[in-house]
Amino acid sequence: MAVSVAKQGYHLGHHDEHDANHDEVIYRETRDMRLTGFVLFLGTDVVLFSAFIFAYVYLRTSIAPVWPPMVDGHQLPRLDTAFAAVNSVVLFGSGVTMHYALEAWKHALKRRFNLFMALTILLGAGFLGGQAYEYAHARIGGWSGNTFGASFFTLTGMHGLHVFIGVWFLIALWIQTSRGVYDDHRFFGLTAGTLYWHFVDVIWVVLFFLFYLW
Amino acid sequence: MESLAGIEKIVALVGAVVVGVFAVISLKGEWNKTGLDDHVTKLLLGLMAFGCILVLLAAFGILPRGGGA
Repeated sequence: MAVSVAKQGYHLGHHDEHDANHDEVIYRETRDMRLTGFVLFLGTDVVLFSAFIFAYVYLRTSIAPVWPPMVDGHQLPRLDTAFAAVNSVVLFGSGVTMHYALEAWKHALKRRFNLFMALTILLGAGFLGGQAYEYAHARIGGWSGNTFGASFFTLTGMHGLHVFIGVWFLIALWIQTSRGVYDDHRFFGLTAGTLYWHFVDVIWVVLFFLFYLW
Repeated sequence: MESLAGIEKIVALVGAVVVGVFAVISLKGEWNKTGLDDHVTKLLLGLMAFGCILVLLAAFGILPRGGGA
């Protein structure tokens, strides 16, 4: 009887181990597929932004005789570069803190992970606040008033929407980590969140150059 | 408003140096990793470091050429 129970235990233990290995293999294989899919998704977003960016470059170089364009006989002012530079640093800083959050998670440093996640979300929200402030104070006409305003509000609005979604994405990931969805071996969601966050940072590099430095 | 722009430029300058240094350190840490996510991360961190250089150029008044706010 005892031998039978022990055998059964052995078989169950063996079965569990087999299941765990099987799960690991499935996770690794699907992780690569999901990662490829996510990178392709970022690629489609690059195409989307590229279309609008090329439209802006075309309008600026081919249609408008002077830039910023003239409206009612007056040339529109340039955007506030100094303020945008600070806001850019806030967003780039959030990219670095997100990178450190992921590294902390990989090394099972939960407290450090929580600190960097909180910083990332705060900086992301801060950038959105800065963007809202700039929208309220930009003196370049409205969305439909001229090519400058139309391009600026469309492109930065689209980027701002991505940041807004990104902030909620990070909050959702943070909640998932607190509920034990990820461990220090399986954390695809955090990798995807980090890639997405770096992506919105990099899109801003392009927009910052086009609207404030060019 | 002029002094406010001056303070903003100093904040941007210091921030860009700090963030840029950490971005380069992170990039260095990722350099020998070979996964797809690692390659994408390297590319994005490099571009982010480039963004910090753009902020520095703005803070020093080198860009935009016509002079910023």
